[in-house]
Amino acid sequence: MACEPNRARLLCMLSLTFGFFLVEVVVSRITSSLSMLSDSFHMLSDVIALIVALVAVRFAEKTQATNKNTFGWIRAEVMGALVNAVFLTALCFTIVLEAVERFTEPHEIDSPMVVAGVGAAGLLINLLGLCLFHGHAGGGHGHSHGGHSHGGKGKKGKHGKSQKAGNGSAGEETNYLVGNHTSNTKPSMEVSCKDSTEVQMNGNTHFEEMESEADASSQLNMRGVFLHVLGDALGSVIVVVNSVIFTFVWKPCEGPSCTNPCINSHKTDHRHINHTLVDLQDTDTKAGPCWVLYLDPTLCIIMVGILLYTTYPLLKESALILLQTVPKQINMHRLNERLLSLDGVLAIHDLHIWQLAGSRIIATAHIKCHDPTSYMDVAKRIKDFFHDEGIHATTIQPEFVTFNSETQGSQCELSCRTQCAPKLCCGQKSASDSKAAAASGLEVISEASEQVPSIQGGPRTEAEVAVTREVESSV
Amino acid sequence: MLPLSMKDDEYKPAKFSLLLKLSGWFRSILAEKTSRNLFFFLCLNLSFAFVELTYGIWTNSLGLISDSFHMFFDCTALLAGLAASVISRWRSNDSFSYGYVRAEVLAGFVNGLFLIFTAFFIFSEGVERALEPPDVHHDRLLPVSVAGLLVNLVGIFVFQHGGHGHSHGEEGHGHSHSLFNGSAHHGHSHGGHSHDGHGHSHGGHQEPPCPDDLLPSAGKGSSKQILQGVLLHIIADTLGSVGVIISALLMQKYDLMIADPICSMLISLLIGVSVVPLLKESIGILMQRTPPSLDNSLPECYQRVQQLQGVYNLQEPHFWTLCSDVYIGTLKLLVAPDADTRWILSQTHNIFTQAGVRQLYVQIDTAAM
Repeated sequence: MACEPNRARLLCMLSLTFGFFLVEVVVSRITSSLSMLSDSFHMLSDVIALIVALVAVRFAEKTQATNKNTFGWIRAEVMGALVNAVFLTALCFTIVLEAVERFTEPHEIDSPMVVAGVGAAGLLINLLGLCLFHGHAGGGHGHSHGGHSHGGKGKKGKHGKSQKAGNGSAGEETNYLVGNHTSNTKPSMEVSCKDSTEVQMNGNTHFEEMESEADASSQLNMRGVFLHVLGDALGSVIVVVNSVIFTFVWKPCEGPSCTNPCINSHKTDHRHINHTLVDLQDTDTKAGPCWVLYLDPTLCIIMVGILLYTTYPLLKESALILLQTVPKQINMHRLNERLLSLDGVLAIHDLHIWQLAGSRIIATAHIKCHDPTSYMDVAKRIKDFFHDEGIHATTIQPEFVTFNSETQGSQCELSCRTQCAPKLCCGQKSASDSKAAAASGLEVISEASEQVPSIQGGPRTEAEVAVTREVESSV
Repeated sequence: MLPLSMKDDEYKPAKFSLLLKLSGWFRSILAEKTSRNLFFFLCLNLSFAFVELTYGIWTNSLGLISDSFHMFFDCTALLAGLAASVISRWRSNDSFSYGYVRAEVLAGFVNGLFLIFTAFFIFSEGVERALEPPDVHHDRLLPVSVAGLLVNLVGIFVFQHGGHGHSHGEEGHGHSHSLFNGSAHHGHSHGGHSHDGHGHSHGGHQEPPCPDDLLPSAGKGSSKQILQGVLLHIIADTLGSVGVIISALLMQKYDLMIADPICSMLISLLIGVSVVPLLKESIGILMQRTPPSLDNSLPECYQRVQQLQGVYNLQEPHFWTLCSDVYIGTLKLLVAPDADTRWILSQTHNIFTQAGVRQLYVQIDTAAM
């Protein structure tokens, strides 16, 4: 499976990082260095980030629809990216707090050479991780979709071929209608990691589109991991730099009669009880330049700035997807206009377009047409139109106009409940919407009684009569 | 040209005047009960944090200072909840066809994540302390803990009383855990140990974006569950403060230094466990999972639809939660060529409306004969 490279990389990095975490813990116990211990916990958080990404990748492979998750687990990767971004932000906060603490109370490093050594090893591991994940960092692979929107798993190569092969359905509705007859309540979307041919996304009509969608969902996930590893690498760099400078610049306190002017006196009453008789006299030797002690927190704060700056776009992007936003490449207004310009389309209500993950975009709408026979032609054209836009999973609900009152077509015949109306449904937002319902008799019978009768007046009774007549005829 | 949505200038920040924007937000915060509660609790927490900060600076106690920083950190969680409650009431526009209602779920999820992170951090701090027990001074610990406990109790009262079953998977949590108590070497009087009890703000729950007071009781049931989760959380935190006080007493009386880290670890476990239901719920919503409350009624609805005259098959049903109690569904019906489409559509809508799905999109595909 083409997901293997990702998984392999994650597993490899995970084992390396975890091993290094253990090493750091042991070393910190041996040298009883607290900073090493806290650094090891940072490594642990890195491990957790990798685990999250791994879990997300594993889940997202199961793109088959299940009973509970009818869309499959595709969104897991977006969630993984969000979780990683949030953890990074929280980590940045804690680093800031620790740095502030160090500012107020600097302390020297106990055994700088050991720290430098371990830091260098950590840096190596992190650099390796950076190389592993570098490809997924920013832009990415163009996904040739060959006319399918598929969970863009950023796998090179195999993507394009398998799609074209997989969905051989030429026609639109007939093919999948007849073919899928067996399904019951459980739709079976056989979507594998590579192929991702969703049955509902037919319309293999054009192959040219889908220029590189830069942010497929798996890329989002990997970007999260990359940023985490980057943060860790920066941390290791700081550790190494700090300890090296410390070794060469700092003059430690040797001998019984030296003081440490950089450290606050209220610390001394705990430690240097023996030295209480020592005063800050000029003749005594002093410990090395104080600014060295402030180097660490300063570098940390710079690192936090860099990390936050790079994490913010990832956070924003995954959050926007989860907020059901319209994908940025789609202009709703223009889409609406162009839809209206199609033949046979009288009006459009309740158009919702949102992104499931990566390049899978889903659209739903109510389309008002003349009558059922003309609807079938229009349906195909509408589907093609959406395919052109890159939206392959669409659900179009037809609404029909029987009487000739096409006056104000903005009335939604199958309106939602009134309570939600101002927010979620069309038509009853305010008095500005038209009253004269295109009385096409689609008022749901039982809903009619509960509907706010502000909009439907006379035509209602006709509608009800029409419907009941139809009911009798079909029974 | 049909308008798709109302351009709402009042709440959507298209204006360039900052003051106008701020006053607009302020008004919308105060307009609604839950966001009002959140806001006041946030102010309470913030003021407590400031007081602690000034006290810490004045008495030069690093522990108190770091603890107050930690409280500020918690306040950001509350702030996120408040922001979500305001944002989710914005109207929909071209970029957000469903509006911003998902913000609450997202905020709940993010807060849950922060909580887990906090729990993890406290645990690690506890481990560090257990390995190298610092010399902790407790003189300033007790009064701070008691004050924190009081703030917590206020939180319980406010959010139990105020939230009438309209909470969402979103909680603003502040926790009293001073994460950063300095390193063990210095043995300072940190506001002692990992949890100075203080203010926990919990519970941001906001009212649902569809102010559906006419909802049947089924709807209220689900949000009541969330409210219970919130309360559970506040109670867990209160227990945390109580634990802090007890361990402080233990340390003072019996000099049991190990009580501190053990207490931290227990409390972090408690936090972790209590956050799991919230996370599960928000993850379910964000992953577009079929709404759990519809799990039983959906198959029945499918059956009924398939029994309609002319319907051959029902395909690709997708039902998902937009926010609490707002369900959206799409499905495709395969019908006979001579079927009465309009009747089928209306009946289908009817059936699903009874189940609670109000936004339904039914695509009719005619089988080729």
